[in-house]
Amino acid sequence: MSPDIQLAGIHPRSEKLIELTRSYERAKTSWSQVEVRLEQETKELIKLQKSLGFGHISDGALGWQDQLRPITQSLKGIESGTRYSRWFDTNTFYQKPIVVGRVSVGEIDPEKFLQTKLLAGEKNRKITLPGPYTFSQLSENKYYEKYPDLLVDVAVAEREIIKKLRAEGVSLFQLSEPCLVYQPYRATFRDESEVELALRAIRSVVENNPGEFVIQTYFGDASPLFSELLDLPVRGIGIDLFETDVSSLSEQTSKTLVLGLVDSKESYVEDAHWIADTARKFREQVDVQNLVFASNSDLKFVPQGIANQKLEALSKASELFEESR
Amino acid sequence: MSKLFPVQEIGSLAKPKWRTKGLRQPLSAQDLSEAEEWAEKLGIDDFHDRAKSILKTSDDKTRAKEILELSTLYGLRLFETAGVDNDGVGGEQQRVEMYEHVIKAVQGMNLLGHVHSFDYKYFNKGVAESRVSRKRPIYAPEFLDVKRYAHRAVKVPITGPYTLVDWSFSGYYIQKQHGSSPKARKIEAKREFLLDIVEQVVRPEIQDLVNAGASWIQIDEPAVTTHPEPHEMELFVEAWNETVKGFSCKFSDHTCYPSEIGYKVLAEYAPKLEKCDQLALEFANRDTSRLGVDESSREGYSDLKHFVDAGFTGEFGLGVAHVHDFTGSVSSDAGQAVGRDLIESPELVRDRLLFATKIVGDPAKIWANPDCGLRTRAWDISLTKLANITKGAELARETYG
Repeated sequence: MSPDIQLAGIHPRSEKLIELTRSYERAKTSWSQVEVRLEQETKELIKLQKSLGFGHISDGALGWQDQLRPITQSLKGIESGTRYSRWFDTNTFYQKPIVVGRVSVGEIDPEKFLQTKLLAGEKNRKITLPGPYTFSQLSENKYYEKYPDLLVDVAVAEREIIKKLRAEGVSLFQLSEPCLVYQPYRATFRDESEVELALRAIRSVVENNPGEFVIQTYFGDASPLFSELLDLPVRGIGIDLFETDVSSLSEQTSKTLVLGLVDSKESYVEDAHWIADTARKFREQVDVQNLVFASNSDLKFVPQGIANQKLEALSKASELFEESR
Repeated sequence: MSKLFPVQEIGSLAKPKWRTKGLRQPLSAQDLSEAEEWAEKLGIDDFHDRAKSILKTSDDKTRAKEILELSTLYGLRLFETAGVDNDGVGGEQQRVEMYEHVIKAVQGMNLLGHVHSFDYKYFNKGVAESRVSRKRPIYAPEFLDVKRYAHRAVKVPITGPYTLVDWSFSGYYIQKQHGSSPKARKIEAKREFLLDIVEQVVRPEIQDLVNAGASWIQIDEPAVTTHPEPHEMELFVEAWNETVKGFSCKFSDHTCYPSEIGYKVLAEYAPKLEKCDQLALEFANRDTSRLGVDESSREGYSDLKHFVDAGFTGEFGLGVAHVHDFTGSVSSDAGQAVGRDLIESPELVRDRLLFATKIVGDPAKIWANPDCGLRTRAWDISLTKLANITKGAELARETYG
């Protein structure tokens, strides 16, 4: 069976939708007009994923303003709206969650997370959420004396959000944890105790929580943490092959590995043969049976037309990879 | 300038409707009604003659030229009315925005489409499809209009080479690399692309500006703090030093909205930037909205210490006013929230300047400015914010007798 292909985060909006949202912001278009277009594009994206043979279908989160926003808006003890911060090394920004009280789950509106109606016919639904470590790292803590207490409370709250989304039919949860591997914000590499703290928080979100989980890392080299990640009680681990030093990997795993094989930060569309060949070389290093082909992170960093071409390249590469097995 | 706490603009102002529409199609008298209203507020005495000419002309190019000239004049007068000491280029009215305006003038680059920036803001991202070079002058025509109408000092903000490259797809440059890994190929491509942008695009532009009489060039490099890795920072320094080499005008850097690490890394490398007389930085965005000159009230300005500790000896352009949407709370003596805008009180501006002075040690090294360009704010809001910056600077000045 050829590797599954999955969306790995927020998909870009089309030029038409972009123009409508701009017009909405200038009060020249009603929100209902934006919604109609948003629904149409979501349907088109679902159709595209199905036509390309995706095993898990995502709605592309086209309405999300940033990767943290729906979680931010579902938590008590957090304020936002006064400060924008850069999303890692991209030219995109997110509203920084400001922790001003004890974090707990607030009112969860599933509509803020996904287009439940449009996904109604899909059995295997995937959603991408920030993991507890990344969410707490990217927040500004003005309340907790000790960071671990914040991390624990975020994890507890996120666990509840996931339960609610599971009840809405989501079967696969990608928890994105770029902060586990993205180093430049840090003066020193995170020590073992911090890694253990982060992994413990992830465990507390996923253990005995219905649904399947993938922990996705990106924008950094996953190789120093790879073996620890493989120990997590999750279905899969995702790594960014544009950043990870594959030559230093030699593990064997029964887990699914989600390979970031197309670059969400570059516009050239990777050749399907190159993608398949890169995946083959990866498997020479790591003994793994189950692979998923994906972009290395959200494709929102490229225009939609290019993002769709990258998905097509992944689909073609998946076939080529299978043919060569 | 001997005056303490001079006020400067940082870059863009919102573009009025008549300016945007008038570049696409002929205008009616009704379209110019807003311009007429502002003409009175800003003292544009010859508005009616100019409006008549704009309405009369049937030639698109002539109309566009007259409209751009008029909106530049408005921008300059708005800054003057607010009491700003250095009026930049009148709010960058002749530019689409800081990135696209340049990319359109670069041979070898193509704009691919819009990508998300934040909320409902996007930017049109370009790709290098072949070796880059300058197609035509980028800022010099605008500067000639500015020179003609400015009553006060001006500076020319330009988009820095590092940012131009960082915000573009490398395309041609990455595909020609043969490095051992995707990461190595990216690094090599970026350096080659960047040095070509410096030599083939930015330096010829600076030469034209200097020849036209520009005495201060502000290089906008918001992208630099997004890559705090040493090899990236060294690349930024190399590109900066190549950019300014041999020119005798004043140079300043404007960098805003740094990534999580804040300004710490920029501070470490700032002393290596040759001929960098000023760093204009964003602080108000991360500060509290209450009065006070203590560290807790002025927490947003703590990064200034890094620059002083690292040995940067130039001036600071201090961001004392927020430029984005604001939905938080503000204490009544520190300003007021009006819709999605925060209007900082002069007292809040004063406290920010005085706190910064405590860190920097020399009030003569501090300019007051908004965090960044005010392009997302309505003109009346921009005018009020700038006027309050001016009043706040006066209050701070009074402290020093």
